[in-house]
Amino acid sequence: MKTALSFAMDFGSYAIKGGTKYYAWLLFLGFFILVGSYTAYLQFTQGLIVTGATDQITLESFFASFVFTAHVAAAAVLVVAPGYLYHRKDMKELAVIGEIVAMVFVATGITFVLFHMGRPDRTWHIMPGIGYMNFPNSMLAYDTIVLNVYLILNMIGVVYMLYKKYVGKFEAKQLAIWFKPIVFLAIAWGPLIHIVTAFVLASNARIGSWHTAVLPFAFLSMAGASGPALIILLFLLIRKNTKLVINDSVIDLMTTIIAWSLGIIILVFAAETFTLLYPGTEHASSLRYTMFGHNGLNMYVVWFWGVMVAIVGSFVALLFSKVRRSYDRLLPLVCFVVFVAILTEKPMVLVFPAFSPTPLGEYAEYHVTLIEFFNVLFVWAIGFLSLTLILKGAIGILTGEVRHDKSAVASQSGA
Amino acid sequence: MSEEKIIDLKDEDELRQGRRDFLKHVCTSSAAALVLTTTPSEAVDSASNPDADATVAEYFQGHFLLMSEEEKLKAIARLEKRYSAKYMKKTTVANTPAPDGVLFGYALDIGKCIGCRRCVHACVKENNQSRNDPEVQWIQVMKMPKGNIAFTADQLDKGYPEKSEFGDYGVQVGGNAYKTAGLSTEDAQNYYNDELVPDKDFFYMPVQCQQCEKPPCVKACPVRATFRDHAGVVLIDYNWCIGCRMCQLACPYHARRFNWGEPNLPAEEMNPKTHYFGNRPRMRGVMEKCTFCAQRTREGRNPACQEACPVGARKFGNLLDPNSDVRQVLATKRVFRFKEEAGTYPKFFYYIG
Amino acid sequence: MDFQYKSPTFVSIVLCAILVAGMSAFNSAHSAEVKPAETQNAQPVTDCFESRIGYSSVTRVENANPKYGYPNVKCSQSTGAVLWWADPFEGTIPMGDMPEISDDTRGDFANAVVKPRQPQLMYFNMGPNGCESCHEGKTVRYPKDTKPRLIGMHQDIVENSLKLMHGRGALWCLNCHSANHRNNLIDRQGNLLSFNQPQKLCGGCHGDIYIDWRAGIHGKRIGSWATGSKKRWWVCTECHNPHTVQVARFNRLKPEPPPPLPRGMKNADYERAGEAKH
Repeated sequence: MKTALSFAMDFGSYAIKGGTKYYAWLLFLGFFILVGSYTAYLQFTQGLIVTGATDQITLESFFASFVFTAHVAAAAVLVVAPGYLYHRKDMKELAVIGEIVAMVFVATGITFVLFHMGRPDRTWHIMPGIGYMNFPNSMLAYDTIVLNVYLILNMIGVVYMLYKKYVGKFEAKQLAIWFKPIVFLAIAWGPLIHIVTAFVLASNARIGSWHTAVLPFAFLSMAGASGPALIILLFLLIRKNTKLVINDSVIDLMTTIIAWSLGIIILVFAAETFTLLYPGTEHASSLRYTMFGHNGLNMYVVWFWGVMVAIVGSFVALLFSKVRRSYDRLLPLVCFVVFVAILTEKPMVLVFPAFSPTPLGEYAEYHVTLIEFFNVLFVWAIGFLSLTLILKGAIGILTGEVRHDKSAVASQSGA
Repeated sequence: MSEEKIIDLKDEDELRQGRRDFLKHVCTSSAAALVLTTTPSEAVDSASNPDADATVAEYFQGHFLLMSEEEKLKAIARLEKRYSAKYMKKTTVANTPAPDGVLFGYALDIGKCIGCRRCVHACVKENNQSRNDPEVQWIQVMKMPKGNIAFTADQLDKGYPEKSEFGDYGVQVGGNAYKTAGLSTEDAQNYYNDELVPDKDFFYMPVQCQQCEKPPCVKACPVRATFRDHAGVVLIDYNWCIGCRMCQLACPYHARRFNWGEPNLPAEEMNPKTHYFGNRPRMRGVMEKCTFCAQRTREGRNPACQEACPVGARKFGNLLDPNSDVRQVLATKRVFRFKEEAGTYPKFFYYIG
Repeated sequence: MDFQYKSPTFVSIVLCAILVAGMSAFNSAHSAEVKPAETQNAQPVTDCFESRIGYSSVTRVENANPKYGYPNVKCSQSTGAVLWWADPFEGTIPMGDMPEISDDTRGDFANAVVKPRQPQLMYFNMGPNGCESCHEGKTVRYPKDTKPRLIGMHQDIVENSLKLMHGRGALWCLNCHSANHRNNLIDRQGNLLSFNQPQKLCGGCHGDIYIDWRAGIHGKRIGSWATGSKKRWWVCTECHNPHTVQVARFNRLKPEPPPPLPRGMKNADYERAGEAKH
């Protein structure tokens, strides 16, 4: 108990220490949290009328962002899996970083869902026992279960691994017998949350462009691109600014995954586009609207083609080894483009235009309001703040700067 | 079903019994504090409302269908008290059960419908929807082009591929190919604002909740706040809905409406005869939709939209009774269901009489 | 006030500008959204009509149902049409005897009520004894010649009296109006019928519609939905004017206002744009 307390204390005090740039970053996030607290207050007192959502386009940016967080959270297993499934030495210690990303992004996603709900104060209605969960029928009930289980699995993994490292008992035989199944379960659970999230969307026959079997594949390939893109950015930052050793081989593996995933995304998009547009049935209306507009409504056209150019361009760029090995310039740029492209794809291509035409033939455009926009930033800021702090503390433990045996720290820093 | 039953709607004394002493054992100040921290709006309500405990009790009430009879009466008494105070008139909240041996069905003659939208606004007068900001309407009328204005001779040589050595015009892509005619939502106008109706080149199709036998919304609701009663009507417990809008996503008829903000219902327009699952005033952040006027039809009277229709295009009745209006329509007219391909088996039939 | 979705990079660049614009926008948004609409409190319409203007009129009476504080009817603010009845049977009388039909078509009129037509007929109410105030055989003599011909009757009060037509000219006035009993209609067997029961006359020729009407699938009925219980039936002349079916079958009427546009949408022109394509 005493050890646990000192673990928490050491972890926390290390996490909040840093240089000027570190504090500037925290301040930057703090700004959005400050503004967002006010906008969130407005939303929770006035209702979702402060967002741009309507009965025609009923999902707002929150739900779109939730899908994106599910992308990243699912992709975090790509950092965990190589270490545990393929026994790659260079990645085994980094697994905890993957689990931290998964944990934080699932939590962020759940926060987005709370913002999406009309009555977040009634969340307890879905808890079995005190409420009622429509379990075998509702896809959202499944999603609630898998997201929360994934969150718990990753929390166990993160805390246990960091704690073991902290007390210096990290060798394979020193880990508890229950731990390995948890890690493997978490690895399997990553794609699962994503498939279930895809089914939450695909289960709605009303929305033709989601009512397709490729949706889980599209989601998984987008996860495979956006998640590692973020993780490469994180690794490059960590490598530059901390003592943690991350080999080029790790980054190369992530780059390969991004390239493959982008290729699959292009295939999936092309297949879906062909299947809809060639026969030209009514199911193509929504895609046609997204790609070319409808009778003067063409808000999404530029977003669609912008995202397509970004994805294809990034894919082509990653075919060149010169780009792949440009660790401090081109690679981070490409990763950033991939991340942003898939982030904007969610609301502007996947979610909003899918609602048009409505079952009664209406076409509508979604206009994000400022309050909604700052609420999205609010949740992102909270997510990135937690990610920063937890990663910082974890790096302290992984590099050995934070450990239970204080004398060891002293001798190391002395050396 | 006598006249008295229709007009004199409910034995109210029954409901009054549960009102006494129910506040004492339900709430504590700590429960109140929890509500205050979770929802600022509730906090405002309970601060201005001397009966804050009732608000807390309402917050912690369970699913209405899972309540005991006593709890139901208490919940209803709470609501009646709150509504009566808020709208400054005596409001009743009925809990009339759905009649036994009845399956409610609806038939609408799109041959007769003239698109006057009286059903839409009669529904609003009856069902206490938010009047503005957000303006909520449960029925939406589509105006669809008849075939007579679709095809034109000057379009014959338009499109692609052009006239070729084969002499024909090939598969028309463009030209007359891009013409919708008949029952298609593709070129439907939902916001038509004509001086006079009906427009001779168009026909009209009102759409409201189709009361599906296999409702996708009920399947999608994560908390079973929406369900089908034994008379076949899909209802919502507004106090149980969490506002996740999965039902709205699932509905292939665009029948469900969401209270995006605090409903704006002027006291003088409020209809004080309500039903728990029907037209009682809703709160912000919950779903609502057509209930076939539960407060009326469960007591024998026709829905408001049926009564408002000036051309008698709307027929309502019991699908299990071979002599009912609806069954007579099914027996003698050519009926169809809207979006049959959605596999929802609506009990709302359209016909061309 | 609406703000295009931009990538986070954009925001980080113009952070301060957004902040200033944002905070002011929140305030304006806030005040705009909580403002109650005064337009809803307009005085209710009192001169209303059922179905169509001129066919039957109703006057709104406040607090007609004290139990709920209901008026007798609620009417459309924009057109004056009755949208809602507090009591569906207000002002009704029993439909009266109806002939049995011996097939399986329903003919249950035990609880059928109608609003009497006579008080609604403009010319009928010009004198104390209805039409017979003048057409009693002395003031205006009963016609001896009952052959169809164009007569210039009532051009002073009936604008289009020369254009009235039924059955494309095959029928004329005295086929339906009794020559000697002007307060009654007359069927082909010579039976006198009340103006309140036009269905007995119309059904003689329009048998298919009449059968549908008896079965409850043509025309309008309000009140109870249950078979055999009390219903208010609309009779033929509450919707159809038999004199003008050829010249103006149904006058077009003013519709109620359209639904609200989705928030953020300025217009629904795309719907009309589709129309221009045709």
